Amino acid sequence: MNTGASSTRRRHSGRIVTALLFIAPWALGFLLLVLYPFAASLYWSFCEYDLLSPPRFVGGANYRRLAHELLNGEGFGRAVWNTAYYAVASVVLSVLAGVGLAVMLSWKVRGQAIYRAIFFLPSVVPTVAAAVLWMWLLDPGGGLVNHWLTAVGLPAPNWFKGVQEALWPPDWWSGRAAFGSKDALVLMSVWGVGNFMIIYLAALGDIPKSLYEAAALDGAGNLRRFWHITLPNLSPVIFFNIVMGVIQAVQAFTQVYLVSEGRGAPAESTLMLSLHIFLAAFQNLEMGYASAIAWMLFVVLLAATAALFHSSRYWVHYQGGSP
Amino acid sequence: MNVRNAATALVVLLATALLFWPDSGDQEEAVPAGRKEVIFWHFWGGDDRRVVQDIVARFNRSQNEHFVRAIAMPGNNLDLKLFLAVTGGRPPDVINQDDPIVADWAARGALMPLEEIATQQECERLREWLFPAAVDLCEHQGRLYGLCNGLDIRALYYNNTMLKKYGLTPPRSIADLDRIAEKIPANDLPANARPGGGNGGKRIRFGYLPDARRLWAWAIVFGGRWTDDHGNVVLDDEANIRALQWMTSYSRKYGPRTVTAFRQGDQSLPGKSFPLLAGRYAIVMDGQWRTRDIAAAQKRQQAQGQPVTEYGVCPLPPPPGGRALAGWVNGNFFLLPRGAANSQGAWEFMKFWSGFDGHEADAAQTCAEGGWIPVSKAVVDQPRFQAFLREQPLFREFVALAAEPFQKPTPIVPGAPFLYREVVSTAESAMYEDDPPAARVLLQRASENVARHLKRFNRRAATP
Repeated sequence: MNTGASSTRRRHSGRIVTALLFIAPWALGFLLLVLYPFAASLYWSFCEYDLLSPPRFVGGANYRRLAHELLNGEGFGRAVWNTAYYAVASVVLSVLAGVGLAVMLSWKVRGQAIYRAIFFLPSVVPTVAAAVLWMWLLDPGGGLVNHWLTAVGLPAPNWFKGVQEALWPPDWWSGRAAFGSKDALVLMSVWGVGNFMIIYLAALGDIPKSLYEAAALDGAGNLRRFWHITLPNLSPVIFFNIVMGVIQAVQAFTQVYLVSEGRGAPAESTLMLSLHIFLAAFQNLEMGYASAIAWMLFVVLLAATAALFHSSRYWVHYQGGSP
Repeated sequence: MNVRNAATALVVLLATALLFWPDSGDQEEAVPAGRKEVIFWHFWGGDDRRVVQDIVARFNRSQNEHFVRAIAMPGNNLDLKLFLAVTGGRPPDVINQDDPIVADWAARGALMPLEEIATQQECERLREWLFPAAVDLCEHQGRLYGLCNGLDIRALYYNNTMLKKYGLTPPRSIADLDRIAEKIPANDLPANARPGGGNGGKRIRFGYLPDARRLWAWAIVFGGRWTDDHGNVVLDDEANIRALQWMTSYSRKYGPRTVTAFRQGDQSLPGKSFPLLAGRYAIVMDGQWRTRDIAAAQKRQQAQGQPVTEYGVCPLPPPPGGRALAGWVNGNFFLLPRGAANSQGAWEFMKFWSGFDGHEADAAQTCAEGGWIPVSKAVVDQPRFQAFLREQPLFREFVALAAEPFQKPTPIVPGAPFLYREVVSTAESAMYEDDPPAARVLLQRASENVARHLKRFNRRAATP
């Protein structure tokens, strides 16, 4: 009896050791490459650290500086505004474009698969290639987009070289609003909406046909069916895409670095939080301050995600009730 | 084993063999016995890299004590690599840089002053030997932290054929420059042509258009300064404000959006060719490297039997009370990272390249081959370089400016990268925003930002 129990124990502990050995590479990588930098950056955010000399603890000085810049709209404040503008505009437009395209691409028409492939293609283009392509397309002087706009009598914006913001302040009626660098980045992000579109398409396929049939029997038109059946059923996916979209938008770096001469040009109109962190850390050698921004970014993202989760109970509908 | 499995196995085998195949194409040359290696990091590519390799080979042939190994790497992350190498205790022996980082890195203890590797007498002779701008670029708190090996000077290139066509002459004052900008027509339509006819009345050229980045140069020409006698940053110096106001007058006149769009168009020319050659401007500010482009374009015109366009170079014209022969200078310089293994060998290589201490003829050859401006009159006077100047008469104007005392670099102060970005962003705001604050307000704000940055830096430096 005892021999059997100890043998079972041995087998059990042997399995645990085997399991631990299997997860060891991942666990080691997680500890060294994720957890340690995470913890170290939290400590550095309370330090002055220039990479060349050991970090020196300065308490909350970096966070006080962030608060000061936020209030004055300089540096961090400017980056927060630029990032918020880009995130809100790109996420809202991505949802609208993604849902709209997905609905259209779900229609049973000849060549449906080809259309789907065409709209998905931009999302597999590498970010660097896409940024260079858009810099050419949106060139104020010789770009294709302005060529077309001018041809149909519309004003030609300066796109990546303009400091203007089309969406804020909302004064379209004054005729002074114009697309600027952030709007061009938003346009570029909406062009790559294919990833989200595919998820919407999959979700559309999951909506029970019986709901549409019942609504049709009740005399509901296309618009009513879209509003009362399609949208509520898509809402969990829209919610997921909004959360992911906000995270991606706030972390956007490569395309911003490329179009802004690596410094937020023109006139800091593309100085996003990620670029601000990069410049602070690797050009100004203010690793402590950069870590503090990174942590604020983390907190803001956490708060935004929590707020989205909180709001989801009012507009996200799960089939069969809440998850 | 079926055919598919056999094919898969073969592919895997080939891939593995390729992965572990010894690299025979790019083997490093071994350090000759009895010589000490000098690791040299630089960022030159293309044709310039060939010139660098040639200089290194010439140095190595001339030596029996040191052996330089040049390592090229992308310029945009060279800084970070260096800091990690310094922190890790294995920095290169010498690096080449062209950003205004000397004081910043020196104050952080990453660089070794030349005084620690050269004798006092040698340093004094070096100061005498160098052009003032070459000293300014590497001096921090009275010590030289680097040795300049080439200067970059800005001047005005003008299309003399175009100026003559409209009865104009090269500018000798700001008023002349403004007059040229005014007189050169926006396009080739007859003056009484209706807008919308022909090429649509679209602007295809400017006589002259200031560039926001060039506030660095114009401020000095207007009599301005970036730091006071105590080393404090004074971006809002009255003359700096006047310079920015003058630059902004162009964007107010033509409209900031028009100016921005036209400027951006310069960069979308095929092969990013020089906009002066494309006929987009009558006058453009640029550096000495454009003389090659002009010579090549004239040669092409000649070969094609076209009339050869006449170009010229002149110094930046001053306003009344401004400074003649002034402007903004930058350049390339060697730096000695602290903690390097063979700083003495690096110092020998630096002297060889820049031409100091009997290496003038070698440096003259280097500068002529690279199209670089020497850092000393002693190199300029060498027969090899004089022959080069006879072939490139426009280049001579830049070389003459290199010796002038008011060719000033971005201030060599800690935090200069921040300062540089702040000044350029301020000029961009003033020139490209629809309703920007006044130039004075913008420069005051920038000055305060920089002062705060420097205060933080100094507090950090003062704390043990």
